[in-house]
Amino acid sequence: MPLIDPTVVDLSRLQFALTALYHFLFVPLTLGMTMLLAAMETTYVITSKQVYKDMTQFWGKLFGINFAIGVATGLTMEFEFGTNWSMFSHFVGDVFGTPLAIEGLMAFFMESTFIGLMFFGWDRLSKPAHLAITYLVALASNLSALWILIANGFMQDPEGASFNPDTMRMQFNSFVQLVFSPDAQAKFVHTSIAGFVTGAMFVMGVSAYFLLTNRHKEFAARSIRMAAVFGLISTLAVVTLGDALGRLDDLLQPTKIAAIEGLWHTTTSPSAPWLLAALPNDKTQSNSLEIGIPYVLTPLITHTLDKPIPGLIDLESAAGPKILNGIKAINALQQYSTTHDAASLAMFKQYEDDMGYGFLAQQNAPNQDLNAITPAEMPAVVQQTELDTVPNVFVTFWAFRIMMFLGFYFIALFAFMAYFSLKNQLENNRFLLKLCTISIPAPILACEFGWITAEAGRQPWSVYGWLPTFQAASSHSVGYMVFSLIGFTLLYSLFIAAELYLMFKYARLGPQSHDHAAPVAGTGALPMFAKPGFAAKSWE
Amino acid sequence: MKTFAKFLGLAVVLFVAIALAVLCGDYGPWYFAWLVGTTMIILIAVASGVLFDTQLETQKKGS
Repeated sequence: MPLIDPTVVDLSRLQFALTALYHFLFVPLTLGMTMLLAAMETTYVITSKQVYKDMTQFWGKLFGINFAIGVATGLTMEFEFGTNWSMFSHFVGDVFGTPLAIEGLMAFFMESTFIGLMFFGWDRLSKPAHLAITYLVALASNLSALWILIANGFMQDPEGASFNPDTMRMQFNSFVQLVFSPDAQAKFVHTSIAGFVTGAMFVMGVSAYFLLTNRHKEFAARSIRMAAVFGLISTLAVVTLGDALGRLDDLLQPTKIAAIEGLWHTTTSPSAPWLLAALPNDKTQSNSLEIGIPYVLTPLITHTLDKPIPGLIDLESAAGPKILNGIKAINALQQYSTTHDAASLAMFKQYEDDMGYGFLAQQNAPNQDLNAITPAEMPAVVQQTELDTVPNVFVTFWAFRIMMFLGFYFIALFAFMAYFSLKNQLENNRFLLKLCTISIPAPILACEFGWITAEAGRQPWSVYGWLPTFQAASSHSVGYMVFSLIGFTLLYSLFIAAELYLMFKYARLGPQSHDHAAPVAGTGALPMFAKPGFAAKSWE
Repeated sequence: MKTFAKFLGLAVVLFVAIALAVLCGDYGPWYFAWLVGTTMIILIAVASGVLFDTQLETQKKGS
């Protein structure tokens, strides 16, 4: 019987993907809304106009609902590393746990503390002091994302650590290298600013709804003006950062970039087309129905006019020698773990760089035992493992394209809205206003597809080049995994239902100071900031 | 004394800003870009809000 049950690994992956994607429905809005709140409150402090305070408090209330539910969905994920990914935690816990701990102790505590002051400090703090608090909330929510993305950056490009054969774990060499890893840097900026786009679209969409229903018109027009400009610049920055990430992937993860571009064969001329659409077939390793733009791919990916881009089939072949070396490294490591002799250690050190490929070959070895591979079986094991070195091309290709097409759609939408806002012609463009309202979830979808691109494209690795995903999971039973998967799905669906209910309810109510409406019945049990009358009470 | 304390405070802020720019610029160019870019995005959004009010006031004066 194999040591690692592939069904348990698949269920663990599904569970993590579901919980992470659920959690990330809330995160981008938090990242973006805090910065927009800071901008609105800055305008209030500069102009002393009450409407900007109304804006900060109304949008702050919606942010508060999102933040509370987002925190609840995020807590389980950190525990999942221990419960479902114990081998991963054992192997890289010393490195990976550090940024996660800093995130909790520094960023999350900072955010939670100042959020209380932000909501309840309007009457207790001076205007500049409250503004400083709002900026600290914005900074803390983005710092929280920073530490998570530093941890993820290590999985994409494991810098600042090395493998210790005595402890069988990765250990720190340099904290500075971990924090300043190019992947972590580019990914943080890309993700954070994608959150700005999400926040801007949310404010613009809800405000467009107010204009469509002829309510809170001045409030909505001001909100749209700020959100459209904020969103337009942010979207342009996200696209630029996306290009930087693509360049890094070309240098660090060639299999991911080839999967993103549906590239099976190495490019031989600068006229290689960039595929707008295609149907990649992972089994036949070819594309059908390709629609491409010639001369775009090479400069886009390599930032040169003539550098070839390796295709997946060639990358598979190039992995062959690494797999053979990796098998030698694992066999030497096993020998060293029992004898602790210098010869085994020297042998391991010789092939250490390819150790991960040895782990990867384990799933194709008889009984997952590399020592059991006979010389006659070796070519078949290597050939099968070569195929395993590439990610799912169809998923990666389309996840990237959906994200990218949405990004360009956002540029157009924000640009039109900013233009018509500047011309004071928003109300004449009802189609555009409707488009804004229905586009509210689109940036969240783009973020989700961005994560699918990043994570599906990194497969088969959980730590690129070092630890394959199938080696990283815990050894649970299938029944346990199915049970917990159903439990998480139901619980998280409840969270989403609660978020949607509260968001729709309080967004429809609008800013209370303009209507002076009585508090809605049945909200007695809600926290103070979530009560519809809170904003009005605080300055009346 | 109050003016001197203010001057000292601002000098410390300036020193921290320059040190941060030098360190971030050397080791974390994208982090530095985020710091500068986010500040710019917020300030331009604030300016667009102020411009809205100016346009509104001009419109009211004109009508």
